[in-house]
Amino acid sequence: MLRQLLLGIALAAGMSAQAAAETVTILMEGVPDTEYVKTLVPEFTKETGIEVNLEVVNYAEMHTKLVPQLVASKGSYSAIVVDFYWVGEFTKAGWLLPLDERIAADKFDTSVYMPKMMDLVGKVDGVTYMLPFYNYAMGMLYRKDLLADEKNKTDFKSKYGTDLGVPKTWDEYLKQVEFFTKDGMHGVVNQGLRPDPIAMEWSNYFFANGGEYHTDDWKPTLNNEAGIKAVEQYTTNVNKYGPLGSASFSFDEAFNVMAQGKAYSYITYNFFRAGIDDPTKSSVVGKVEIMPVPGPTADKGGSLNGAWGWAIPKSSPNPDAAWAFLKWVESHETAKKRALQGGSPTRTDVFDDPDVNAKYAYSQALKNMLLTSHNFPVFTYTPQLVEVLGRELSLAVAGEKKPAEALATVEVEMTELAKKDGKLK
Amino acid sequence: MNQSLTIEAANRRFGWFMSAPSLALLFAVILFPVFWALFTSVHDYTLITPNFDNFTGAANYVEAVNTPEFRHSLLLTTMFVAGVVAIEFVLGFIVALMLNSVERFKPIYYGILLCPLLMNPVIVGLIWRMFLHPSLGIVNYLLSVAGVEPVNWLGSTKVAIWTIIMVDIWHQVSFMIVLLLAGLSALPKEPYEAARVDGAGTIRAFLHITLPLMGPVIMVTLLIRLIFAVKTYDLVYIMTRGGPGTSTDFISYFIYRTAFVSLNIGEASAMSAILLSLILLLTGYLYRYMRTLT
Repeated sequence: MLRQLLLGIALAAGMSAQAAAETVTILMEGVPDTEYVKTLVPEFTKETGIEVNLEVVNYAEMHTKLVPQLVASKGSYSAIVVDFYWVGEFTKAGWLLPLDERIAADKFDTSVYMPKMMDLVGKVDGVTYMLPFYNYAMGMLYRKDLLADEKNKTDFKSKYGTDLGVPKTWDEYLKQVEFFTKDGMHGVVNQGLRPDPIAMEWSNYFFANGGEYHTDDWKPTLNNEAGIKAVEQYTTNVNKYGPLGSASFSFDEAFNVMAQGKAYSYITYNFFRAGIDDPTKSSVVGKVEIMPVPGPTADKGGSLNGAWGWAIPKSSPNPDAAWAFLKWVESHETAKKRALQGGSPTRTDVFDDPDVNAKYAYSQALKNMLLTSHNFPVFTYTPQLVEVLGRELSLAVAGEKKPAEALATVEVEMTELAKKDGKLK
Repeated sequence: MNQSLTIEAANRRFGWFMSAPSLALLFAVILFPVFWALFTSVHDYTLITPNFDNFTGAANYVEAVNTPEFRHSLLLTTMFVAGVVAIEFVLGFIVALMLNSVERFKPIYYGILLCPLLMNPVIVGLIWRMFLHPSLGIVNYLLSVAGVEPVNWLGSTKVAIWTIIMVDIWHQVSFMIVLLLAGLSALPKEPYEAARVDGAGTIRAFLHITLPLMGPVIMVTLLIRLIFAVKTYDLVYIMTRGGPGTSTDFISYFIYRTAFVSLNIGEASAMSAILLSLILLLTGYLYRYMRTLT
């Protein structure tokens, strides 16, 4: 009797262990796209029998939670999502599994991804480590109702001698910022908090002035006319045309100012576009549209790119099940379903999908944004560069450093980091 | 004689035996991490190459001291600690003295006072960030009702540090009050009665009886609060991220970034060791001073 009982327990334990072995555990950030994936996961479990456990945490906790798991020979995450900040670090440390063999074996088509997405969160030095998940390229939210207003059009024409309309160039946009700062309204709201909100937002100003972070051989190119103009314009926007306190705003506070109808424009992550039409969060529903950040000329954009990629860590306890999940979640069908819920695609075939375009008219604007966007330097020390850039820009905005002085410091520290990483000889 | 020695030795052995589990636990959770950090601080240990292959000696310490931002954070933290500890002490002592003479509803006052202290610093930071939003927050709204111009609480390099100090006081002053009040209520009544008979007024009784008798309690309270204040990290992380500029870049947040953004655990450990030794020196000094009082 006792033997039978023990045998039964052992069998039950064995079976449950077998069932538990087919669980894919993924650490994810609490953002809208994660929520969309969560709603679709039951379909994957139904198709494959593999359970999915999404551990959702705040961005600030992700890196510190991931690293110990990645360093271990056997970690607890089957798959992970990687911010483009971490790509250099994770690949340099050898924590990610190359995916090329699996991609070839299953004939998974990666050519459908926007090339810039593959550069950012797909391939590193020719090896595919990730499948792009969602993009958070920055765009410009602007008040289309204010642009359409007849009085504004007349006043603008008489002040600047040009027509008021969707800005085609960066200079045209800056004039609008000045123009709309009147009657308790602000021309712009900025996210000046250290380190990433300010560093990311300022990058758009830099690209819009025709700047790039470095030459092909990684020599920093910040302390030049484009860089200095970008810092001056940013400082003026924060201190003169923006609401009080925007030097310490994170994106949520800046978004609230825009959503309360107190600013004409806000350069931010494209996933905020859906939120601005949510009546529970916004008092300007239907009055705001998104566009790529205008560049120095009408044919060039100034948007900063940003994205997350799916990857399988070398410490993954079940890489095969993880790959099955990645294939499913990044299939056209699943990616489209996510986009239909409001997610940010990375695949061209989802951007061009008629159903997606029918539901979200701004879909093509988002696609153009990606096509004309610029990448932030991706190397082992990207987070450190963001830190240095954030600190120096914040000092410049506070008037404690001159733009050229701040940019010179960034160049010195970026040179050191690029040398340490072997990018700059 | 021999027998008593043997008993004493046996007692000592038994004492060690009984203390062994606690000592082992203390070693595992306190001494081991400290030694590990010290060991790491003399190696080139980063999260990208997490190994002890390269012994660097004092290089991490030299690098830390030569970093202007580190020195700036250290100075800023000293100012912050001096500010919050002094203001909280004065405020806390005044409230504790007032509460000490209260006879009724004491538990209610305690309850109200303890509320902020029970809150997580992250929540305190988030709440105050909302309250202090320059255009949408309630604080500037109330000021505008009173005809005061809106204040740039967190966006100005001159004001931000005072905002953090103010929020920290709001959060932590109850700690001072509770500890000082406990000390006050334990004071003997006789010296006061004797002083009254001798014709001493309230102020003289405070200066010549309360303060000297409270000396050790005040020292302990200041010491504990000081150590906690040096570690302030959460408020800055939530409210300013060290900005604007570098106006609130406190040492704990700086060390955190060296470890988890720059991934340089070796240098971060060296910085922690420098900070630890400074705190130890200060604690040692205050402890000795406290002993002279008793």
